[in-house]
Parts: sequence; structure tokens; C-alpha cells
Amino acid sequence: MKFHGGVRTLRKNGKLFITLLVVLGLFFTACGSSDSTDTTAGTSDTTAGSSNTTAGSSNTTMGTDTSEPVTLRVLAHANPPAQAWQEAFNAKFQEKYPNVTVDVSVVASGDLSVVTQTRLSANDIDVIDIPGFSNPVADYMSGATPPNWQTLIDAGLLLDLTDQPFVQNYDAATIADAMSYNDKIYQVNGGRVSYSGMFVNKDLLAAASLAIPTTWSELVSVCDTVKAAGNECMTVGGADGWPVFVGSYGLLGSFYPDQAGLVEGLWTGAVKWDDAKTAELWNRYYVYATDMLEPGVTSYSHDADPARYAAGDVAFMPTGVWQAPALEAAEPGFDWTYVPFPGSDNASDNQYLFGKYDQGWAINANSPNQQAALDYLAFFSDPANFQEWINAVGFLPTQPGVTLDTKLGGEVAPYLENYRVGFEQYWVQPTGAGQWANGSQGAAWFAPFNEWTDPAALSKQSQADLQAGLDAG
Amino acid sequence: MSTPIIPSADLRSPDLGSARSITSTTRRTKLGSYVILLTFAVVYMGPLFVLLTVSMKSLPEFFKNPLGLPAGLNFENFVDAWKLANFPTYMLNSAIYASVATAIFVATSILVAFPIARGYFKGSKGMLTLYVVALFLPPALIPQFQLILNLGMYNTRPGYILLFLVNPIGMIILVNYIKSIPRELDESAAVDGCGYFRFVFRVILPLIRPAVATVTVLHAIGIWNELILPTIYLTNDNYYPITRGLIVFEGVYGSNWPALSAAVLMLMIPMLILYMFLQRYIISGLTAGSVKG
Amino acid sequence: MTIKVSKKSYLFGRGWQRWTPLFLLLPGFGLYLVMAVGPSVATAVYSFTDATGIKGAPVNWIGFDNYDEFLFRGLASRDNIAALQRTLIFSVLVTTIQFGLGLLLALLLNQKLKGRTFFRTLFFMPVILGVAIQGLMWKLLLLPNGGPIAEMFGWFGVRSEFLGGQPKEAFLWVIVVQIWANVGITMVIFLAGMQTIPEDLYEAASIDGADGWNLFKSITWPQLTPAINTNFLLNIIGSLQAWQLFLVLTGYKNGTQVLGYLVFAEGFGQTSGSFTTAFRQGFAAAASIVLFFLVLVLGLAANRLVNRRERKYLG
Repeated sequence: MKFHGGVRTLRKNGKLFITLLVVLGLFFTACGSSDSTDTTAGTSDTTAGSSNTTAGSSNTTMGTDTSEPVTLRVLAHANPPAQAWQEAFNAKFQEKYPNVTVDVSVVASGDLSVVTQTRLSANDIDVIDIPGFSNPVADYMSGATPPNWQTLIDAGLLLDLTDQPFVQNYDAATIADAMSYNDKIYQVNGGRVSYSGMFVNKDLLAAASLAIPTTWSELVSVCDTVKAAGNECMTVGGADGWPVFVGSYGLLGSFYPDQAGLVEGLWTGAVKWDDAKTAELWNRYYVYATDMLEPGVTSYSHDADPARYAAGDVAFMPTGVWQAPALEAAEPGFDWTYVPFPGSDNASDNQYLFGKYDQGWAINANSPNQQAALDYLAFFSDPANFQEWINAVGFLPTQPGVTLDTKLGGEVAPYLENYRVGFEQYWVQPTGAGQWANGSQGAAWFAPFNEWTDPAALSKQSQADLQAGLDAG
Repeated sequence: MSTPIIPSADLRSPDLGSARSITSTTRRTKLGSYVILLTFAVVYMGPLFVLLTVSMKSLPEFFKNPLGLPAGLNFENFVDAWKLANFPTYMLNSAIYASVATAIFVATSILVAFPIARGYFKGSKGMLTLYVVALFLPPALIPQFQLILNLGMYNTRPGYILLFLVNPIGMIILVNYIKSIPRELDESAAVDGCGYFRFVFRVILPLIRPAVATVTVLHAIGIWNELILPTIYLTNDNYYPITRGLIVFEGVYGSNWPALSAAVLMLMIPMLILYMFLQRYIISGLTAGSVKG
Repeated sequence: MTIKVSKKSYLFGRGWQRWTPLFLLLPGFGLYLVMAVGPSVATAVYSFTDATGIKGAPVNWIGFDNYDEFLFRGLASRDNIAALQRTLIFSVLVTTIQFGLGLLLALLLNQKLKGRTFFRTLFFMPVILGVAIQGLMWKLLLLPNGGPIAEMFGWFGVRSEFLGGQPKEAFLWVIVVQIWANVGITMVIFLAGMQTIPEDLYEAASIDGADGWNLFKSITWPQLTPAINTNFLLNIIGSLQAWQLFLVLTGYKNGTQVLGYLVFAEGFGQTSGSFTTAFRQGFAAAASIVLFFLVLVLGLAANRLVNRRERKYLG
């Protein structure tokens, strides 16, 4: 293969080329980036093009006209219990609205943001699966890039649900914390989860006559005892990386129960990742990652870990409450409870569960099937249906009067009034910050998961990475 | 700086010609060669063997004894994997994408490559340069995405195929190969009154078959292997090619190695059988044209 | 550009028929402009904006801000430059090792050996299987608990987390898999080159008393020039842009990112746990322009090298 001929002519025809390239480039951006005019035209085109569906939706507005079939396109992330529930739910929905066919696309949770973006841009979806809103860019965050959902709303892609009667089925905290942005409501939220606690193997502790630890020092000594007896202290789904964060979220929560305040403190300099109080946090991250977790946790994926834990020789499994159904499925006889991660030496700091508002539903503002989409959300929000949803997925309910009637519901009931939104829901990374700036994930940066072995050095690096971003902004 | 005309490997004897010894092979070098080759063979066979044993274990059996032989012939994982995913659809899709896009690409490219190689119009040199430069161009994920969206071809099979209709390396291979075909052919054909289109497809195409085969194979392999573009452009499970389908399957059932191994094997077996039949063409295709020019 | 059928050399038909080649060329060249050149150039234009790729979101010209951020701002620039270096290291290691191993295998398989076809078929097999299957196979082989390679390491008392642990080590394993998967192509191209070397060259040299290494140096290596050039350029360009294996094997993890993956993650949002980053397509475009210059510089350097060799050996 010869390239030199071409390269020589490049030199000769250089000017010609540059001209051609520039013209082409301008042509392309003309149809690419001047979105405001061009794509609107595109949108109206699509709507006009699918005149059938448009007509269909205007018909449904008038009531339950069954003559025009509507296909309601719903996007959901992969979660097997939720998919099983949704199949039954869709059947019920289609029975009530016989003209509607629900077409659910399931994507892996890691792909949800990409697919949401592309399908909204292509106006190829009616109802989307979206996590609760929690972290708009705050006033003190100068120069930060807004999170995705905020850009979606600002761009007018999500339908305003404020005046829909069904949103009033949700409790006030949920409406404020998860469903609203700038005083308008854009989603209905299907439940809270906690990601800062751990499952406890009650049989194993009982056999060794150990009590459930409520402070850090108790946890350390329980782990020593358990390991001395030939069992393991903790397991997590280390192969996926992020499940390791659960322990660090727990530790961080017991050090800083006011997580919104912590985020503000980090941005304003009132808190530093390497100040005296936080330095101890990094020591505990280190102990958790290298001592408490069993060897070889990088073998287990998040999904596989409940099965590993159900084998019975591990005392604790720090993970989200959403894994309770998987644990019960893996070993029905397993006796467990779920408690906050005891990260502080003061037991009263260890009573909070931190988490996020998980899966919610929002509607594409340009959807030609808006009425059917609204019907879908209204049907979902109906308390009886909502109860079934909660039973299926095991989320902590967001409607008053709906209860989590499972073992998990009973086990976490004492902590529910201490439920708080976690750090990750408030945190927005400053532009220019380095990859170690989000210290809430710190435990996952120690060996065996990453390269660090010295907590003091890592805490300094984390602060330096954050500071670089704050200074650059 | 003339390129020597090197006789291309003959397509009809795809065994890459008869063996030709570099020197009179002594017994010792032969033995050494076998040792090295067998070592490599283990590295290539080993993974297949591991997949096979793991796929026949139950999940608890795998956790207890990940490496040993399975307790017996157990095909449950295959049945499960077959039920859980849409593998026949994925394979069909991959086959459609690879064959349709490659066919269109090759046909259109020959019609570009021939006049460029001959210099049949002004600016043909410049066009060739444009292709050479394109070798180095970054994958233009973002504008391409906007383009497909605005064409209304997002999440459609034709839209996905559209992404694979250009390939500068292929074009350069074709141009260089055509340059080695004597010009006198064109002249005498034109004098005989042969039409341009007929000439290109009846006379030139058979002569450049080795290069066409190379380009076809390289291009089809590229499509077959693509994982990023289906992630961006295809959201409908019915349109997934194998690569994407398998990664999604892993995302959902990734913890269950026996089931995953069974799925991988099920996808591999038809590919391997097809490959056994076609490998002489694939390999000779890959080699025939690429080394020349 | 004036594209016109040249009067002197083109002999087919007369009148309007003389335009046939241009008409026939249009579909192929048009597709090329629309699908490849246009978007590539538009990437450069995008790189000066803060585009998010979300429809309806405002797009502003921000000059060189994306480049400034990528190369100089805060400590994120340290990570970006590390990704750039990693891309280079990946490319250099993959190119050289794959080149060497491919040549070795081709030399071995160019002898009269039993099972030649079998070996050749076997070493080419991963290419057919595709990146998803390659990746999943190796994920299984590299399981830290119970994987066969962990077991072998265990015989020597070595314990490793492979893909899930130290980023440098994970990175090396991706290189191993990349070479394992693609050495077959290199080998086959070399084999084809060796088939074209006339036998009598060797015979003549043997009579002069040359032995194995000398024969290789004086005949095989220079005669192999076209195959060497093909492989060299294919490997360099391919490995600079290849990152799909990272997606399958390690995911987006601190210390293993390469530039291609970074472009994807910034442009289309990357989810890690409950944390989703924003879509920053303008920034991603700037990163891919940086990648372009890297490929261009290396590609042109490689091209020079190749031309020098060609001059030296083939005159």
C-alpha cells in the first residue's frame, strides 16, 4: 500500500483541500448544530409524517375512543423484578385502554442515559425511565456542567406534569426532592432506595454469640472474631466497581449526616477531603476495602453477589436495599436484616440510611401519544397499582398509605424516619477537577480495586484534585 | 519509485500455494517449529475448552469447582440461554448488516476507484488524497449521530447500514490494485465499442478479483466486530447485531457464567462452522490483494 | 474543484456518454463525502461549541475553551494527558508485538509442516468471533477467583485481581487480548507476502552458502516489503482507534481510559453507579480532534518510514 503519492498531492493541492473541507464543514454544521431552527423543523416533520399517530392521540384526548390504535413506547432499565411486574401491569393497562399497545424497550442500566438522549432526540419514545431529580447545579457551584436531567428539562424535552391530578398521590417530600425542578413537576417517582447500609447474616452472628455492631469499633472486632473462626467479614460485587462505593457512602454518611451541607462545604472550602476529621474517614475506607472485604471480591459482579452471600459464611454484605429480593431468591431460609453501615464510633451517628429516589417515569414533551402516556402514569400512580409495584421491586414507597409489606419493609422500618438523600444526589463535579476528586467513592480506589495503598496520600490527592477544579472554575 | 508487479496469490488455489521451504528444513528446526506452534495452539484452544466445561456446570457447581470437568453432560444452560435471548435474530441481523453494507460498499467503490486509478478526470489525484487523509480522520461519532437523527434514520436497519458504506482503506487497496492492470485494455475495449459500465464490470472486475476479495473480507469483518455503533444507533432489541445482543445479555445475566458460556458457545458454533467452510476464501481474500501496490 | 472527464485519456463513448464515469462515481463518492468527510470536518466545528447533543438545548461558540480545558485546566488535564499517553503506549505495544508474533507465526507456517492449515485456521479464528465474544471469553479466563489463569498464577504463589484490580495490570491484559485477537490478520498478510517470493532467489543464495538467518535478512525481509508496510500501517492506525475491548473488559475505570473511550464517555454520558455525567459533545469533539492529530503525526511518521524502506529495498 502506498500513501506517499497521495501525501505529495496533498501538498500540491493543499489550498484546494482546505477550502473544500471548510465548505463541507460549514455545510454539515448547518444541518447539525444550528439545532434551534433545523431540528424543530425536523420534529414537526416527524409529527406530520406520522399523521396517523398524531390523529390517534388527538382522538384519545376526547376520551376512550378505541378506534385509533396507539403504540405507547416505554423505556425502562433492566431490573428483572420490575420487568416481571411491568408485563402484568401493561396487560391490565391494555385491558382498560384497548386501543393502546405498550411497547417496552429494556436497556442495561449503564446504557440508560445514552438511550434516553438518543431516543428523545429522535422523538422515538413516549415514556422514559428517569432517576429522581436531586442535584440541580446550586448557586455556589460556579462553572459546573449541569447534570443530564437538568439539560433535558431546560431544553423542553420533558412534559410538565404539575397540573395532573395523579401527582398529588405522592408524599410531599418526594414531590419536593425528586419530582420537581424550578417549582414544576416533571416525573412521578416510584420509590426510594438506600445505598448506604449492609445486610447482616443473623445466623452466623448468633452462632458466634455476637451482637449486630452499632459502632465502628464493634464492627472491627466482630470482623476479627468472624475471620478468626474461618469465615469472611464482608462481600460486595467488586467486579462492577461501584458496589464498593456502598461501604464508603455509609462511612461518609456517619461522618457527615448532613450530606447537602457536606457538598456545599466541599465547594466552598469549609470541608476538605484531607482535613483532620476527614483523614480518619480515609483510614476507615482503607480498612473497609482491604481488611473487611473478603479476598477475591473482584470476581463477583453485583448481580452474583447475593448468591455468594447466601452461601452463609460471610457476615455482612454492604449493598443497596434493592438486593433483598435477589437474596431471598438465592436462599429462602437465610435469616438476615439490613442496618446502616456503622461508620462512626458514636452509635447515634449510625442511625441514618442514605439513598436516592430511584426509578421514576417522565413523558417526552414532543410525544405524539401524550394522552396515552398521561393515562399510563395516572394508572401507575393509582394506589392499588402502586402497591403492587412496591411489592414487586422492594423500593421504599413514595406514596402515603402504601407500605412495603415485605421482610425488608419490616427490617428497615425503624430507620425510615431517618432516611436521607445521599451525597451522590447532590454532588456535581467542578470542571477541571481530577479523577480522584469525588472522595465519596474513595474506598474503591484502594487495592485491590485500584492503585492506592496509603490513606493519607490518597486523601491529599483527592483534595488536590478537587481543589484544582475549584480553582479553575 | 515504481511498485514492482508482484504476482498475486491465485484465488483458485486458496491453500496459499504449495509449501515452500525457506531452506532445506532440518528435522531440528521442524521440531522447534512444532513446539512453538503447539504452545500457541494451546493459547487458542484453551479458551474454547474452558467455555465448554463451564457451560455444562450448574451455577453452584461452578462456584464450588470452577475448573474441573463437569459432573456430566448437562445442556440445561443452553436451553436457558436460548430461551432468554433472541440469538437467532441477532445472528440474522449481523449477517444482513455485513452482507448488504459490504455489497453496496464494494459495488460503489469499484466505480470510484477505477476512474481515480486511471486519472480519467481532472482532480482524480486530489480525490485519492482525500481518501488517504481520511485514513487518519477521527471517528466522527457526534456529527454522524446528528446526521442520522436528522435523516430520520435513527434506530432503523437502513440507517445502521448507512454507517458502513465508506471505508478509505478499502478504496486505497482497490485503486492501487487497478493501477497494476495495463491501460491498453481500456484502449482496445473502447476501440471495440465496449461501454464503460460493461467494461468495468465484465473486464476489470474479474481482473481485480483478489483485491475485491480482500476489501470484502476486511470490510465485512469490521462490521461483524462493531460494538460501539450499535450501542449508539440501535435501541430496538430486534435490530441488535450479535455483538450488542451479547453484551446486553451479559449486562443482565453477567453473573451467571455457566449460562453466559453457553450463550457464547451457541453463538460461536454456527460462526465456526461457517468459517470452516469459508475460511479458504476468507483467508485467501484477505491476502490476495492487500500486499500488492 | 473542477471534476471533468479528461479529454485526452478517456476513450469510452462520445457525447453525453462521456459523462458516464462521473455519474457512476457519484453514489460512492457522495456517500463518502456525506458519511465520512463531512462529519469529520463537522467534528472540528463542534469542538468550538458547548453542544450537548440534546435536542433543543442551546449551542454557543466558545472558541478554544474545550481545548484549553482538555489540555490545561485543573487536574482533569492530567487525566486527559494520561489517557493520551496510554493510547500511545497501547498502540506502540500492540503494533510491535503483534507485528513480531505475526511474522514469527507466518515464518513457521510457511514451512512444509503437517497441520499447517489447521494452525492457520486456529490462529485466525478470534477475528471471526468478534470483539464481544473475545472479551467475554477472556473475562471468564481472567476471573480472579476460580479462573484458569488465576489458578496457574496460584502455582507460583502469585495472586492477582487481573481486570478488576491495579489499572496498569488491567491495561496490560487488554493489550494481551487485543494481540491474541488480531495477530491472525497480521500472520495471514505476511504469509501471503511470503508466497510471492520467488523460490529461485533462495536457491541461488543457498548455493552461495547462506543459511537461515542470512537468507531471512537478505531475501525474505526485503522481499516482504509490501506485506510489512501493509501490516505496519494497518496495525498503527487500527490500534490507535481501537478501544472496544476496554469497554467489554474493564469498563470506564480510573487509570485505564484511552482517548477513544474518553470521547465516547464524554459525548454520550457515562453512568457509574448512581452517578451519571452530563453529555458534553463539544468537549468530546475537541478530544477526538486531539486524537486525530495524534493519529496523523504517527501515521505520517510511519508513512515516511515505510517509504524509506521501499526506496532502500525496491528502488
